[in-house]
Amino acid sequence: MENGTATQGEGRDPSGFLSEIIGSQVTVKLNSGVVYKGELQSVDGYMNIALEKTEEHVNGVKKRSYGDAFVRGNNVMYISAD
Amino acid sequence: MASQLLPLELIDKCVGSKIWVVMKGEKEFSGTLMGFDDYVNMVLEDVTEFDYSGNHTKLKKILLNGNNICMLIPGGDGPTAVTS
Amino acid sequence: MADVDDTASGPVSEPLDLVRLCLDEVVFVKLRGDRELKGRLHAYDSHCNLVLGDVQETVYVVEEDDDGEETVKVGSMSLWLYSCVNWQLQTINKKSEMLFVRGDSVVLISPQGSL
Repeated sequence: MENGTATQGEGRDPSGFLSEIIGSQVTVKLNSGVVYKGELQSVDGYMNIALEKTEEHVNGVKKRSYGDAFVRGNNVMYISAD
Repeated sequence: MASQLLPLELIDKCVGSKIWVVMKGEKEFSGTLMGFDDYVNMVLEDVTEFDYSGNHTKLKKILLNGNNICMLIPGGDGPTAVTS
Repeated sequence: MADVDDTASGPVSEPLDLVRLCLDEVVFVKLRGDRELKGRLHAYDSHCNLVLGDVQETVYVVEEDDDGEETVKVGSMSLWLYSCVNWQLQTINKKSEMLFVRGDSVVLISPQGSL
C-alpha cells in the first residue's frame, strides 16, 4: 500500500529522500527550535543524524560550530534539503 | 457494511496534493505530500512552516518526523487560508 | 534507510559510527534542559546511554536580578531571551570523576577535538 517504493519515484518517500540528500547541505530543526546546518553524513531508522561542518543556530543567531555532530533522532522535527 | 477507509489509506490518497499538518505544540506545516512511511514520517515539498508567533518560513523539501504530528488535513493550505 | 554505498571502509555509514569514533576521546554533549557536558567518552550504547570520565557539566539557569534569591531553570533559553529583560543568565559548573548519562536526555554529541 503506502511506502510503495516501486511505484514512487526517487526521493519521494522518506528513505528515498534521505538517500537522495546524503552528502548534501541540510538544515535540521529540533523540537526545541534549535537549528543545525551542515553536510549530511548519514541517517538511521531512528532519525539519528551525523552532520559534518555543522553550525548551531538559536533564534536565527549562530551560536557554535562543530566539525562533526551526532544528533539524537528523537529531538528532530524535520530535515530540510537546502 | 460500507467498506472502511483506513487512516493510512486516506493519507495515501493525499500523495501528490497539498496537505496541512498540525503538530503537537504550536507549529504547523503546509506543503505538497510527496510520500510517507508507516510511522507517518512525511516528505513534503514547497513547504511553509507556521510559527506560534505568526512567522512563515518557506522550505523547498523536507522530511518531517512523524513523532510530533497531531493532525493531517488533506488539501489544506495552512492557517493562512483559514484566517483570510 | 541505512543502505549507503560507503562500503565497509567508510568511517561513518550510520550516525552512531560517529559516536564510536569518539571512544576514549573528549566529547561535547548537549542535553535537554540546557545542560552541557565535556568529558572523555568511555562507553555508549544504541540508546545513547553514555559513560563519561573527568566530566565538566555546565547548567544554564536564569536568576532574577532584583530579588536575587529565586533561581529558575528554564526549559528553553530562547524563551528567556525574549521575555525576561531583568533576568540574568547564570552558568553553574560541576565536576565529576565519572558520570552515567541516560540516553533519552541526549540531544547532540560532538568530538571536542574538532571544536
